[in-house]
Amino acid sequence: MIYRIDMKGIFSVIFTLVAFSVLRGQNPVSGIFSDRWVINSPSVELLPARKLDARIVHRFGDFAGSGGGWKSFYGLENAADVAFGFEYGVSNRLNIGLSRTKGAGPMKQLIHGVLKLNFLRQTKGQMPLTLSGFGMATLSTGERSSDPSSVNYFEKFAHRMAFHVSLMGARKFSERFSMQLSAGLTHRNAVPAGDENNLINTGLVLRLQATKTLAIIGDVALPLNGKQSPFNGANSPLNDYKTPLGFGLEFNTGGHVFQLNFTNSSGIMPTDYLPYTRSDWAEGQFRIGFTISRLFNL
Amino acid sequence: MRRKYIIGLVLLGVVLWSGYRFSVIEEVAKLKDRPVAEVLESLGDNPLPHQADLSVPGASIENGRDLVLYGSAFGPDGRMGKRISRHFVCTACHNVERDEPDLSQTNPLARLDYVAQKGLPYLQGSALYGIVNRTSFYNGDYFKKYGDLVTKARHNLREAIQLCATECSQGRWLEDWELESVLAYLWTIGLKMDDLKLSEEEYQLIAEAKSSGQQTKAIQTIKSKYLSGMPATFVDPPEDRRRNEPPSGNASRGKMIYELSCLHCHKDRRYSFFLLDSSQLSLQFLDKHFSKYDRYSVYQVVRYGTSPMPWKRAYMPQYTLEKMNEQMLEDLRTFLRQATM
Repeated sequence: MIYRIDMKGIFSVIFTLVAFSVLRGQNPVSGIFSDRWVINSPSVELLPARKLDARIVHRFGDFAGSGGGWKSFYGLENAADVAFGFEYGVSNRLNIGLSRTKGAGPMKQLIHGVLKLNFLRQTKGQMPLTLSGFGMATLSTGERSSDPSSVNYFEKFAHRMAFHVSLMGARKFSERFSMQLSAGLTHRNAVPAGDENNLINTGLVLRLQATKTLAIIGDVALPLNGKQSPFNGANSPLNDYKTPLGFGLEFNTGGHVFQLNFTNSSGIMPTDYLPYTRSDWAEGQFRIGFTISRLFNL
Repeated sequence: MRRKYIIGLVLLGVVLWSGYRFSVIEEVAKLKDRPVAEVLESLGDNPLPHQADLSVPGASIENGRDLVLYGSAFGPDGRMGKRISRHFVCTACHNVERDEPDLSQTNPLARLDYVAQKGLPYLQGSALYGIVNRTSFYNGDYFKKYGDLVTKARHNLREAIQLCATECSQGRWLEDWELESVLAYLWTIGLKMDDLKLSEEEYQLIAEAKSSGQQTKAIQTIKSKYLSGMPATFVDPPEDRRRNEPPSGNASRGKMIYELSCLHCHKDRRYSFFLLDSSQLSLQFLDKHFSKYDRYSVYQVVRYGTSPMPWKRAYMPQYTLEKMNEQMLEDLRTFLRQATM
């Protein structure tokens, strides 16, 4: 099936959303989420203009199962994935970012460029939700494989690249509870045999504010097509893809946001964990992870 | 015949006196719109030393306004200059409108009511409105905070602005065109005679001062109506922070302080990364920590502020006693307690 993308229509929708948000964006609800990311999922939140977010993200090895337990000190002696990066508020409605991850899937040494736009902001009595768009382009800088059947054989430079776009809608239902739903598309230029280049996915993010500085957070990303989708046989004995699911605690001290989490996905970035999560919670293949976010004025 | 002369003379006198009175009334009316500094100079007072030099290339009132309100302006080369500070602009801590009801004294309670009526924030710093009429800066206990740095700034507005730019706002030294632009803008928000609480007799004295030879008295009268420098007293938090439990201040005034002062910087992370709003979570958090001996204690941060650190230059300046008295702190504490019950 051939999908045609009507760019004119897309730009019209974006323009309408931005224009609408400018008109209706008075007295917006603040702090739907504390951070621009909730565990592995991008959130609707954007950095204010001229703020720089320096981020360090770490995912340890399997907590239990065959790779975890005492012999790896419950995964703490291994690093499934590590990310270092920066995000910057070009304006209150536009963020850009650049980060580097080790890569937990077959693509390694990944560079990620991020673009995030805010279209609507939840406003008391006027706008029921905040709507943001997220785009990521990923480039693998890893070595070429000599195996032509491998994803990182990289016959062409373009095969090193993967992309993810999503539209996120979130609402702060009360001062303690926020929820986000998202719809996304992950595109890989090169995929393993029998896999699909385009993965449509949906995501859910929850946040429960326990105290002023502590929140309980959770995220799940659900691929809707391809081998990764539980609706297409994933999680069955014949298919070892698993649904990325995480939960954790978030501490917001002001300038710092610190997340301590447990998730079955080894990868940190959507272009990595959405197509390649094979770790199973039921098998103890979840891991401790943390995120440190530090804001600076620039 | 003689009677006619007397009537004529009386009428002439009445006409002349009336004309004089009208001219005085007209003079008084004109006087109310005139800048205080200009009137003082016309009475023979020494000109203030911080006149703006607009002959410096790039210096202008418009640029000064942009620098004060937004932190940067277009320079003489036509390019947008670097921001003075990454963390603050002047209006983070200073109003550019009058924020004291009586300029001859400082009264934080009256000031709070005044800014609430005017829809202004309640800020740590004194208003920039009328700052050009002052002759001393960084007064009182500011030497405890900035040491010798205040020596040069104490009687020099240019140095005071530079100290504010580099230390208070954790920014950079202003270039000449920026400094002169800021001064030029500040002169546009200097005190007007109408800002002073002068009686009709005092206006008349000033209007007639030159003809009556009472310039010195007129100058003294004008200067008695505003402060030449703002007092600044640093105080410690109460020794026993858990005293007066439960707090019994004025909660509605405490609410005003929270909304006009705390939220000015903390709402939507305007100047602080520590987000505050009117939610129960924020209010409960502040109430819980109010009497503690930690960095989230309102007693602590109001009286000592926080310190700029490497990589975290944005900080909170403390409130002097003249800007937040003990009663106001108890009012704030009472509001937080009652709002969370």
